[in-house]
Amino acid sequence: MTPRHHLDEATLVSYAAGALTDGMRAVAATHLEACGHCRAQLAGAERIGGVLLSQRQPTDEPGLLAQLREAMLARLDATPQMRPTSTLGGDDDHAASRVTGTDLLPRALHPYFGTSWRALRWRWTAPGVHMIKSSRPSGDNLIMLKIAPGKSMPVHSHGGSELTQILKGAYDDALGHFGPGDMADLDSDIEHQPVTSPGVPCICVAALDAPLRFPGWFARKLQPLVGL
Amino acid sequence: MTPDTHRWSLSPFETARAMSTNEPQPKTAEDWAAEMAAVSRCGDRDSFMRIYDHFFPRVRLYLRGQGSPEAVAEELAQEALLRLWQRAGMFDAGRGSLATWLFRIARNLHIDRLRQERYWVALPEGAEPAEDPPDEPYSRAESYADHVDLARRIERLPATQARLIRMSYFEAKSHSEIAAELGMPLGTVKSGLRRAFLKLQVEVCGGAA
Repeated sequence: MTPRHHLDEATLVSYAAGALTDGMRAVAATHLEACGHCRAQLAGAERIGGVLLSQRQPTDEPGLLAQLREAMLARLDATPQMRPTSTLGGDDDHAASRVTGTDLLPRALHPYFGTSWRALRWRWTAPGVHMIKSSRPSGDNLIMLKIAPGKSMPVHSHGGSELTQILKGAYDDALGHFGPGDMADLDSDIEHQPVTSPGVPCICVAALDAPLRFPGWFARKLQPLVGL
Repeated sequence: MTPDTHRWSLSPFETARAMSTNEPQPKTAEDWAAEMAAVSRCGDRDSFMRIYDHFFPRVRLYLRGQGSPEAVAEELAQEALLRLWQRAGMFDAGRGSLATWLFRIARNLHIDRLRQERYWVALPEGAEPAEDPPDEPYSRAESYADHVDLARRIERLPATQARLIRMSYFEAKSHSEIAAELGMPLGTVKSGLRRAFLKLQVEVCGGAA
């Protein structure tokens, strides 16, 4: 799967800067797991962070710094260095190790939706539409959606920035065909009417950059139904 | 008076003092990579402390900009440098500068801290994907020249774009927050960041020019 729709550069910059909300960050990270192109772009955005970090001009506080320096020297004694052979990703992800292969959700979603596709608890939301809200307290703006195949969503636009990452299935709208791995990183002024492809349900994960806002992927008329 | 003649006019005591300051001259990305190699190869403490002396105050300042209280910024900055010590063997100078690596460590520590404060739950280790460098090889190594070019290019950004970049990196403001604070339409914030990024990318990737 080679994604054809990518993260907006403005979103990449904010991801690199650590400036996305948790929900947006999780959706962007899900795309990054699947997309080498965006990972390469991200490396560029992180270099900007590196340069900005080294350009900072700290004020001189010799007393405090000397104290902290001593504390660090003491901690070095107690802190063994890791062997270079162990990889950085080698921290055991205990939960993930029990779930393998096709049942494994993208890693970035684990803190919010668990590790397993099979364990997801979909809730009926509207005809042909199931949804899961993130189990975490800040998850108001992070949801997974499952839309039945061949379903047409009402025309809508977006109040704020919205990120939608397609995990399974596909949909078409005026912006093109969106399949697994694709990212719909939409500006607020875009109006669209997604139609899910025939065959399998379209499953995606979506977030808005403002908390307590419901993603526009649904028509606003659905909002009363889901009580948001 | 040129800097050289000035230097020779110092008394021997002053000269000795000038030479014993932590940073007699600016180090390049290559110098830092060499220090890291020594830390990784034989746990060289002198090399590590030279890295510490230069970067700790900068990381701490960065974390304060992110909104961390003074004590938290200190603690996280210490933690960031300690991780650098622990994981020195995983640093790959061919994939990016030490400053970029440290930036990522500090940023991720800060994000994890915020999430823990919000939820009062520890996240599973490794839940933060930015913590794991992707397998994707960078298109080419970041050289000292790239670093200098990028720094220069950042300085030359138009004022508004520079402001958007700084509000993003230094204050971790989201697009909506920036829009609200500057009274700008959201679309303008995004297009400004997009243009700034593309300008900075040209410099990094088109270095042959």
